[in-house]
Amino acid sequence: MNMLETKGLYHDFSGLKVLFDINLQVKEGERHAVIGPNGAGKTTLFNIITGTYKPSKGKVFFKGKEITGLKPCDLCRIGMGRSFQITSTFNRLTAFQNIRLAILSKRGVRFNLLRKVDKIEEITRETEEVLKRINLIGERNFPAGALSYGKHRALEISLAMATDPELVLLDEFAAGMSRDETHNAVALIRKLTEGKTVVIIEHDMDVVFSLADRITVLHYGRILATGTPDEIRRNQEVKDAYLGDLEV
Amino acid sequence: MKNKIINWFLWVGLIVIVAIIPKVFGAYYVSLIVTFAVFAVLSVSLNVLLGFTGLLSFGHAMFFGAGGYGTALALKHIAGLSLLSSVGIGVLSASVLALVLCPLVVRVSGTAFAMLHLAFAQLMYVLALKLRGITGGEDGIGNFPIPPFTIPGVVSFNMKGVPENFYYFAMIVLGLSVWLMWFFTKTPFGQIQVGIRDNAKRIDYLGFKVSHTKAVVYVVSAAFAGVAGSVYAIFHNLVSADGSLGVLVSFQPIINTMIGGVGSFFGPIWGTAIFQILEEIIVRFTDRVELVIGVTLILVIMFAPQGLAGWITTLKQRFFSASSHKLEKIS
Amino acid sequence: MDATTSMYVAQGIHGLAYGMVLFLIASGLNVIFGMMGILNLAHGAFFMLSAYFCYSVLNLTGNFWLALLLAPLFTAFFGIILERFFLRKMHAMGHMGELIMTLGVSLVILAAVKIFWGTENLPVKMPPILEGMVSLGGLEYPVYRLFIIGLAGVVLAIMTLLLYKTRLGKIVRAAVSDREMVNALGINIPVVFMVVFGVGTWMAGVAGVVIAPILTVFPGLADQVGMDAFLVVITGGFGSLLGAVIVSIIFGLLSSYGVQFLSQLAPVVMVGFMALVLAIRPSGLFGVKE
Repeated sequence: MNMLETKGLYHDFSGLKVLFDINLQVKEGERHAVIGPNGAGKTTLFNIITGTYKPSKGKVFFKGKEITGLKPCDLCRIGMGRSFQITSTFNRLTAFQNIRLAILSKRGVRFNLLRKVDKIEEITRETEEVLKRINLIGERNFPAGALSYGKHRALEISLAMATDPELVLLDEFAAGMSRDETHNAVALIRKLTEGKTVVIIEHDMDVVFSLADRITVLHYGRILATGTPDEIRRNQEVKDAYLGDLEV
Repeated sequence: MKNKIINWFLWVGLIVIVAIIPKVFGAYYVSLIVTFAVFAVLSVSLNVLLGFTGLLSFGHAMFFGAGGYGTALALKHIAGLSLLSSVGIGVLSASVLALVLCPLVVRVSGTAFAMLHLAFAQLMYVLALKLRGITGGEDGIGNFPIPPFTIPGVVSFNMKGVPENFYYFAMIVLGLSVWLMWFFTKTPFGQIQVGIRDNAKRIDYLGFKVSHTKAVVYVVSAAFAGVAGSVYAIFHNLVSADGSLGVLVSFQPIINTMIGGVGSFFGPIWGTAIFQILEEIIVRFTDRVELVIGVTLILVIMFAPQGLAGWITTLKQRFFSASSHKLEKIS
Repeated sequence: MDATTSMYVAQGIHGLAYGMVLFLIASGLNVIFGMMGILNLAHGAFFMLSAYFCYSVLNLTGNFWLALLLAPLFTAFFGIILERFFLRKMHAMGHMGELIMTLGVSLVILAAVKIFWGTENLPVKMPPILEGMVSLGGLEYPVYRLFIIGLAGVVLAIMTLLLYKTRLGKIVRAAVSDREMVNALGINIPVVFMVVFGVGTWMAGVAGVVIAPILTVFPGLADQVGMDAFLVVITGGFGSLLGAVIVSIIFGLLSSYGVQFLSQLAPVVMVGFMALVLAIRPSGLFGVKE
């Protein structure tokens, strides 16, 4: 069964067409990369899948069920997580409080008004475990906005992951990172996404080819090709349109 | 552990001070302190919306007024009503008003939210003036009976004519309100609320319903403003459009909050105290309340936009910059 | 012409005139909001201040036309001072800072007029030429109201031309969408904003002068009329000129016919109308979604 599937997806912004007939299939357990030049419609596609926009036409399926038009919070509750290209954390809250929010959501603690959140030990423990796993335990009480860029990005990615979703969509997680930071981030993602289905948008071809099981190439709002990294490397159309002389 | 003991002593000390005030000071100061407590609760309730959820309301007076009118009307028309139930009815009126407005106001934020409340509060004000048959128009509702506070079979305190008794009642009700609101901000729900202020989009993506959360906060904030209004009405044995629903009643808690520090839980309480002391001194020289409020607002926003709490934090950071990273006071 | 019809017509004219006054205030508010993103809570206070200036100029010179020229200019001068020395510092703080600042200023203005002019209702005489009625097609029209409608129309036409047909207008509109670009072109944005704020308060000032002979001048003016103008802007949609026109006229008519049929509850009708609009469209009739 496909974890995620879109059927005949179209989208336009007041007349400006950005997506044409997108049929994307993401298999359960695979790491799927969506690549393409700037303006190809990658982030728009993410925004449609995760419920920010409604598509002009077409449908989105998650675990075989139609989810077109559902709101981000509903999608999160049925097991979809997402990170953002532009870091979007709770900047005035500490790293601990950031992750704790995700843990609260994961455990379905929403309208609890009877206990102090600091006193719920299992939540504190689980939050600390997550912080340890992402090497942020030392910055536990730092406001998110004061973290170094790499750590801030790690927090961003972990927020998407900490609700324990089955499907995670990561939008350019390595954007703006140095070589080392990227390397660490890839390792982190490998560690965190064990057994999960992952869709990533990425520009860094090294990252894409080392991480992805399958790749979809978007070009001017259309799918140019889908296949394994090898197939994509050999695909003449993709080479002409995008990879060109990238020597991959 | 040591901190806990110190805290414990501080609390006991505070309670003792509050308890002996009427024995030491005269009636004038007792009434001053009740007024302070009422506006402190109103300001904290406003800050639950403003500082903790990022929603600025220019019409918080309507909940204060709803509480006041609810209680006054109940006491006037229902014979044999107990004191606590009358406060309860006031709180209920404010909460119901908030519930009715909820579906509309959770859809907007920022400037529109602020102005919408200004408009609704103005509507309530006009209604209170014009529906003379119910509200008494400009005279308001006064001289309604005030029942004694009774625990059946145990004890009964007369409230009317014994300011000391009412003082204790008011302090307990208002103190409890502050504690409840404080607890509210410490619950998991309070945490989600702070998340909304910081980044509503991400809260949505984490699986929380932003509008539902806002709605709950809104009603809670209104309910406590209702408590304040209700106690205020009983305290003066009067509720009037100008005193409980006027524009200045809406602006007062904003000013207190600004002075004390937006986003700090106890900031508005300090702000209320500072403003009231300022006012006490200034009215000896002038009766231009608007001028005082206006100038205070301008000065605070220009020179201490984070209020007293922010100012203290900055000072702390300057002196102990290495020692702490506790920028975030709300957690 | 029977008495009932002429009464309805007279009420209609009254409503229209009041609507146009609201529109003058509201569009001043809208120009500032649309161009600078600032909601000027002191706008109603400026409107009132201008009415007081009008009273004083009239007292000194006895010339209404001079008052109509000078009072709005004085008002605009104070508006520019507010923008230059106070609001500009608020920019980094976002809307919260601007709202609190303008709120503070409105309270200071209110206190100031009470100190300088007292709290009584001060009468302002309209110029003799605008008194009385004029008959057209068998119906009697109050001249002063027609004058208001005409004047508001002229101010509007000038504003529209200024905004859409001149270089200044183009710069201002560009400044809203892309401040850095306009800065890069070597245009002095701070000056442009000062002018915009001045123009906005000037419009409130004109409204203050023309309303003075009808309502007299008193400290409650800012609340009473200013609040209606705010309601217009909220209902019509922030920054929308078209919304402001339509809602101003509706409000003007609602208030004059409302007084007739519901007497005291006219303001309730307006707020009710607003609530209805906002329930359906939270950003106002012609507002753009935030």
